[in-house]
Amino acid sequence: MKKQMKSVLAAAMALSMTMACLTGCGQSTDKETDSAGASAGTEKVLTFGCQNYSGGSVDTAYQTSSAWNAMRYGVAESLFRFNDAMEVEPWLAESCEVSDDHKIWTIKLKDGIKFSNGEAMTASKVKASYDWLKESGPKGSSAPEKFLEYEAEITADDDAGTITIVTKKAYADLTKNLAHPVMSILDVDNIEDFDHNIIGTGPYVIESYKEDVGYTLVKNENYREEVPYDKVELYYMGDASAKAMALQNGQVDLVENITNVADIQKFQEDSDYKVDIANGVRCGFSYMNMKGILANDTLRQAVLMGIDDETICSSNLIGGLYTPGYSVLPSNLTYNYDTLKNPYAFDAEAAKALLDQAGIVDTDGNGIRELDGKDIVLHYVYYDNRLLKEFAQAQHNYLTAIGIEVDEDEVDSDTDWNMLVNGEYDLLGNNWTTVATGDPTEYLDNWYGKSNANYCGYQNDEYDKLYEQLLTELDNDTRTEIITRLQQILIDDAAVLVDGYYNSSMIASKNVAQAPIHTADYYWLSTEIKPAE
Amino acid sequence: MKKKSFLRKYPTFAFFLLLAVLIVLAAVFAPVVTGGVSPTEGNLTNAVMPPGKDHIFGTDKLGRDIFTRVIYGARTSLTSAFTVVAIIFSAGTLLGILAGYFGGLVDTVIMRISDMMIAFPGLVLAIAIAGILGPSVKNAIIAISLVSWTKYARLARSLVLKIRNRDFVAAAIVTGSKTPYMLWKYMLPNTITTLIITAATDIGSMMLELASLSFLGFGAKAPTPEWGLMLNEGRAYMQSAPWLMVFPGLAIFIVVVVFNMLGDSLRDILDPRDE
Repeated sequence: MKKQMKSVLAAAMALSMTMACLTGCGQSTDKETDSAGASAGTEKVLTFGCQNYSGGSVDTAYQTSSAWNAMRYGVAESLFRFNDAMEVEPWLAESCEVSDDHKIWTIKLKDGIKFSNGEAMTASKVKASYDWLKESGPKGSSAPEKFLEYEAEITADDDAGTITIVTKKAYADLTKNLAHPVMSILDVDNIEDFDHNIIGTGPYVIESYKEDVGYTLVKNENYREEVPYDKVELYYMGDASAKAMALQNGQVDLVENITNVADIQKFQEDSDYKVDIANGVRCGFSYMNMKGILANDTLRQAVLMGIDDETICSSNLIGGLYTPGYSVLPSNLTYNYDTLKNPYAFDAEAAKALLDQAGIVDTDGNGIRELDGKDIVLHYVYYDNRLLKEFAQAQHNYLTAIGIEVDEDEVDSDTDWNMLVNGEYDLLGNNWTTVATGDPTEYLDNWYGKSNANYCGYQNDEYDKLYEQLLTELDNDTRTEIITRLQQILIDDAAVLVDGYYNSSMIASKNVAQAPIHTADYYWLSTEIKPAE
Repeated sequence: MKKKSFLRKYPTFAFFLLLAVLIVLAAVFAPVVTGGVSPTEGNLTNAVMPPGKDHIFGTDKLGRDIFTRVIYGARTSLTSAFTVVAIIFSAGTLLGILAGYFGGLVDTVIMRISDMMIAFPGLVLAIAIAGILGPSVKNAIIAISLVSWTKYARLARSLVLKIRNRDFVAAAIVTGSKTPYMLWKYMLPNTITTLIITAATDIGSMMLELASLSFLGFGAKAPTPEWGLMLNEGRAYMQSAPWLMVFPGLAIFIVVVVFNMLGDSLRDILDPRDE
């Protein structure tokens, strides 16, 4: 009797679970018809799946990634922008003139630009936007002073439509810095919620935001050109497979960066999808925390020598989505990658010998070498993005083979960043745009001894001296020379564990006519993305 | 001779016992079964290879042999499931017998703690505990043990209460039996059969809970060969390389079914109520 009851119960539960599954599927199908129906009707809707950075904030002063959000979502624009050759060109600005000493920058603004609330983008509005960054910058971590020093004096001439920026230090090319998303122009006087509802000049306007779900964006009626979509539903999606499946079942029309190699190959072969891959300027690398156990030079060298980066990059794990390399700057940029020498190329046996010689050996026979009497267990923090996790796992394998244990710690991108700032790691995976301002000066600041952004505690006097020289050097050839030398110093000091150079991608369904991805990773939702006829 | 006839008398039990023993043997002799292949070392040049001659279950994204990892996974799963069951069985039984025998304050304290634990859904509380302790197999065992002992305590207590006031118990006390002797000779034997049945049927579900924790990232950590973790790692490849999920999933299914059926058939033998 009891047994019968049990089986009836079990059957009932199984049934109810199946029902729950079916209703779950049913809901997604509803959504699908919603978006498809909408795009077929009068209203043109784009559904876009992307990763959630900075907890969805679009505050340009809060974090670097939140500033990127503002620009990537097509909400904010800056005075200048980068083309695919990473050359700077005017955007909201018309032109720029600079004094001979590179300290007085007179920028003429384009006529007739309006913010999405209809206010004209006057010279004083631009000044107010930069002044606000000066005020709010210290509260966040996006560090606007990296792009334009706080000491700079800005004067606005509304009648002439120009702003004049007088800087204390000479900038090689300030316009490149002003092209960065952090320097986006916002109508700061009229923004109430900087976190989730900013007013910019971009083609789309924030209508609503839902925590962890995404944004609803609508067409900016005041935009200077025709905006292709009436509405953009932007959904946050955690991992690459979620994005791939959402695209496959029609929940979204467009996704950025599917990192699952097999999935992206599948979309490339399928004529119903368009895959655009750009030779990007991103470098995947792990910080090595010099304040921890990795302060030991030999250990760092052995770590680099123990890992076969070329095999990792060419394997099915990474599938060529990364180009292998050992410098912090991508090999496709013009910073003489070919002339750099890597003394720590993969050689597991040499790595072991190096550790043995330094007395870093395994005395208790547990397979893990000891340093100062303690097992070497590297705390490796990463987040699941752009194959950082895959790199960490593969590197873990290689390190175990030479007697170095790794404690993997997968966190979200926000925690990854906070752990970096607080120094709670030995290795920390990241994927960074190297030439954010069309020039790697800001990026190379990460290893400059006196920088606020030097989160790994790296210190080398020659590097610091050269970096300081780079800050003031105005001649392009000399700059390239310095940058080449800086790269070599980092390589020689085994300061960074470089994964490789990432190629970004944008994948669209047949509902979208075209969806280009750019070398600079700031421009996702642009007017170039148009619905299919 | 006697043993043979016992197994003949209960063919279902014998069959599943044989399967269970085979599983345990495979785990114990994993290095022999897999021919000495390492479960954690892979060759990246062979990553995500479909099942074939060299790798009968294929390889995972780091080029590790899935067959080897599944076999070694049995070690992790079996030892942790057995550990959990051993802990909750002994701790729960002990606390339950104490509560039932002594009653009063002891009973109240133990049972109210147990009530607090069952006020939460088991796995959810286990996730919370494992989340606080940090992901590792040891912490997953602690977390699941902490939320699962109450069943045994309540069962043992009720079984003890059933006989606590019987005449033979009173007689034993009157004739001078000491408390430890009472617990050991009278209380424990009266509860143990039911508890052993419960423990046997629990092995499978504990295995599932441990695998769930690992799947969610609160249990075994990479690169430990563990079925739940393997499922999680293979999830991204569900469409393109399904063998990454199929084999660990199958392993969980088979082992859980075998131990569940073994527990069920044991109950059929031992449980007097079914006679």
